[in-house]
Amino acid sequence: MRKIIGTPASSLGRRDFLKQTALAGAALGPLAGLIAGSARPAWADTTEISVFAPLPPDPAPPGDAKFSQDALAAWEQAHSAKVNYEAVAWPQLHDKMATNFASGAHVWDVIYMSGWVPEFAKFLQPYAEKLSPDLVSDMPPSSFSTVKWQGKNYGAVFTLSLLTLFYNTEHFEKAGLTEPPKTWDDLKRYAKELTRDGHYGWVLNYGDPAGIGGVASYWMTYLQQAGGKMYGDDGMPVFNNEAGVDALQLMVDLYNNGTDPGSISYVGINDATNVMLSGKASMMMNWPFTWKPAQDPTQSKIAGKLGGAVLPAGPAGTASIDGTDAWTVSADAKNPDLCRQLVEFYLSPDVQKQQALQTGWLPIRLSMLADADVQKALPNAAVVLEQSKHPYDSFVTPDYNEVTQAIGTEIQKTLQGAKTAKQAIQECSDQVTAIVKKRG
Amino acid sequence: MQGKPSKLGRLSIQLGLGIFGFWTLAPIAWLVVSSLMQQQALTATPPDFSPSAFTFQNYVEVMNSAAALGRGLANSLIVAVSTTAVALAVGAPAAYALARFQLPGSGPILLMILATQMFPGIVVAIPMFIVMSHLGLIDSRLGLVIVYLSFNLPIVIWILHGFFLAIPVGLERAAAVDGATTLQIFRLIVLPISWPPIFATAIFAFIESWNEFFFALILTRQNAQTVPLVISQFAGQYQTVFGQMMAAATMAVTPVVVIAIIFRQSIMKGFTEGMIKS
Amino acid sequence: MAGITLQQRRRRFGVGALLPAVVIILAILAYPMAASLWLSLHHVELAGGAVAESFIGLANYAALLDDDSFRLAVSNSAYFSVCEVALVVGLGLGVALLLNHPLGRSGFFRVLLIIPWAIAPVANAVLWKWILNSNYGILNAILTELGLIDNYVTWLGTPGRALNMLLLVDVWKSIPFIALLLLAGLQKIPSMLYRAAWLDGANTWQQFRFITLPSLRTTLAIAIILQTLWSFKLFDLVYVLTRGGPADGTVLLNYLAYRETFNFLHIGSGAAVANVVFFISLILAIAYIRMLRPGGRKVPA
Repeated sequence: MRKIIGTPASSLGRRDFLKQTALAGAALGPLAGLIAGSARPAWADTTEISVFAPLPPDPAPPGDAKFSQDALAAWEQAHSAKVNYEAVAWPQLHDKMATNFASGAHVWDVIYMSGWVPEFAKFLQPYAEKLSPDLVSDMPPSSFSTVKWQGKNYGAVFTLSLLTLFYNTEHFEKAGLTEPPKTWDDLKRYAKELTRDGHYGWVLNYGDPAGIGGVASYWMTYLQQAGGKMYGDDGMPVFNNEAGVDALQLMVDLYNNGTDPGSISYVGINDATNVMLSGKASMMMNWPFTWKPAQDPTQSKIAGKLGGAVLPAGPAGTASIDGTDAWTVSADAKNPDLCRQLVEFYLSPDVQKQQALQTGWLPIRLSMLADADVQKALPNAAVVLEQSKHPYDSFVTPDYNEVTQAIGTEIQKTLQGAKTAKQAIQECSDQVTAIVKKRG
Repeated sequence: MQGKPSKLGRLSIQLGLGIFGFWTLAPIAWLVVSSLMQQQALTATPPDFSPSAFTFQNYVEVMNSAAALGRGLANSLIVAVSTTAVALAVGAPAAYALARFQLPGSGPILLMILATQMFPGIVVAIPMFIVMSHLGLIDSRLGLVIVYLSFNLPIVIWILHGFFLAIPVGLERAAAVDGATTLQIFRLIVLPISWPPIFATAIFAFIESWNEFFFALILTRQNAQTVPLVISQFAGQYQTVFGQMMAAATMAVTPVVVIAIIFRQSIMKGFTEGMIKS
Repeated sequence: MAGITLQQRRRRFGVGALLPAVVIILAILAYPMAASLWLSLHHVELAGGAVAESFIGLANYAALLDDDSFRLAVSNSAYFSVCEVALVVGLGLGVALLLNHPLGRSGFFRVLLIIPWAIAPVANAVLWKWILNSNYGILNAILTELGLIDNYVTWLGTPGRALNMLLLVDVWKSIPFIALLLLAGLQKIPSMLYRAAWLDGANTWQQFRFITLPSLRTTLAIAIILQTLWSFKLFDLVYVLTRGGPADGTVLLNYLAYRETFNFLHIGSGAAVANVVFFISLILAIAYIRMLRPGGRKVPA
């Protein structure tokens, strides 16, 4: 500044000096502001938010998955924030989370959850109580049931992810079936009839007992279809009844007649999905995401031949389970409001629409589910919406992992004929009781 | 063995060698071949081996979708080299000391070293993670280098100890009589003749560090990811493009396999001598 | 006079050379090992960023004895380790003998020995999972083409079969290295011994029984120790191939410890399982070491 003014101070009066400084400052001020405006000024506070999410093709946010990147950049700009992602393959999420929480280190601000909210509720904050009313009113109320624990709301589900039925329309035609199966009996019959010409009627992954998308969770789907539920008001298991046994028996009957025998070794849903996409199986339950890769000729042999329907109804009607993919905020996040705003951004109408169109994951916003473009690009959205009108409880508790491990293992034994459905359900009930009691 | 080579004998030896060769090579050959095949070809029953089924697309996809792979390779290299260097620098003198000098407690120390090989890594994972995060070493290559020392250092000591035991003491005695200090003896006499086993141990430690999966899983995030982690990430939950998985695996194992093949003489000679003498 | 100071100097050097290593090992290993033992004697709960512990003595270990999963893991591990060691060392010896024969001297086979060992266990697991895939795996395809099976087999579909497949894969990976070890041992046997025996009228089998085997005793013992210890540490393969299933059929003790600790967050009882593995291995190792060095150290100072 002094150099610009130039003349030695002694030749100027103090007034002149100050005046000239002011003038110079006034001239340069806006210039500096202009320069600073186009790049983030070094002295401005850029808050860093770290997000823990799965890798695509699993449900992933903008920036992690390649959609709405401009919108994210604009949001970052507007909030003086920088969003950093740590993305890992889905099967590794829970382990990493558990290790981190156990060590007490603060690493992430916004964390993806899928059925683990009750388990890790101690490490999260109930930020979702402060979500904007506009957003909440545009979401199905029951979507919050899996992220609430002990009366507090910890998360926001960001994709409507329910199991629905997917079937191969070409196989159906060849077998003379005009409609998707509507009841359990239909399902069993169809599975049997469709096992021919080098394909099986039914495929599913029975290889992993635990977690959402594991064997136990599939049984819970049927349990609800039979009118049963997992826990009573006291938290003790109440499934040791006709509903529980019938649900397991359905799985056994299907397994013995019409199921791809490889199912017992498919650990992840992708193994089963591959069988479906290669035309080796006619029906399966799967998450909404399935639609998109099925239409891709480089990945699927059944492009254009996939049909979607609501799951066949048991004695009590149809029911499903919730994928419960949700955003939560860690208890020691330094900027919880900013984190909440980021989640609201992820759930903003436009981002939700792009999420659907570009990644295949359905929006959770009712308005976006009804959006014409979304419905056109993802015809199974209508199916999922229909399914969501019926019960879909994932029965998530802090012991979810352990409970599903125990139940899933018993189911695997039953499928292989090592015990009857009745024995297995009794055993499950005992084990789950022990697990719940251990928690105290 | 000595004996008149019967025709049947020769034939059975050749058969045996053939079976061994096939048994060892076939899976690896399939690894590479299937990495060059399209998903449609691989999911046909039986697999479609027509020329049109082959493509480099899997490798292209892997390289596109994983800037992580490049970073993983770099990290693996830095971590493996560093931890090996430290393990050798600390372990070789220690092995020598254990071999040559009747130090108090060297028996229990050797036992402790063997014991450290038996602990399943996963149990120390949580305490180790806690310490590392207090020190701010999570997701750092330095953190991995330190943690890997926990299995590299004992191995180096164990192997070199066996080797040093086997060296005739005479050479060192003569030098001592000539007035050389212990350090000089170690540096100028023992080390030079130990070059093969030291080198072999280095390669061994390098490879073990490169292939380590579990601690890398626990202790790293984005920055310090190593190659095994990157491979495991190609099995996402909803899609498996088999060819891509094989391509990623091929890219991940090739550097190490090439090194192992090139230096196989040293590895085989040095390692077996060291192990046997223990 | 000179001898005493030499002794002292050497001793000082020895301590100085050994100290850094001991310090590092104590710091990096002793603390976590002690911490893990400590944890196994507590009921550990995660509570709001911190770990809350309450001392319960040996209750975790006692609970293990009642636990079905633990008992199954013990029997799985026992079966697995015994079979693996027998197969690897037995077949490895066969391979070593083959490669020691003049017909097997080519470098090509030496290269083969080193490759499976160099492949990362994770990569190996991913490869074999693909080979054993029940729908598209090449094993099914080949066996069907050869007419050995009619329908594709779900290799990882039943507990018994899955465990045996696990065995197959790890045996495949482990044989070459052990063969290498045994080969080195074989090459040390002076051919003079064989010549003498042949002159005395011994046939191949007798030569093997009375010369080869006894000379290999130490090397064989080492191979057995190593392979046993390694079989207990197996993790990557179980994690990728079967995740312990089906129906806990491939849960080995090491994997059980992992599952208890990381899937169920029962940190105390997970630590207990791992310590069980540690103690078993320790006992085995001590037994073998005793076997190796009957007379104690012989190196004069």
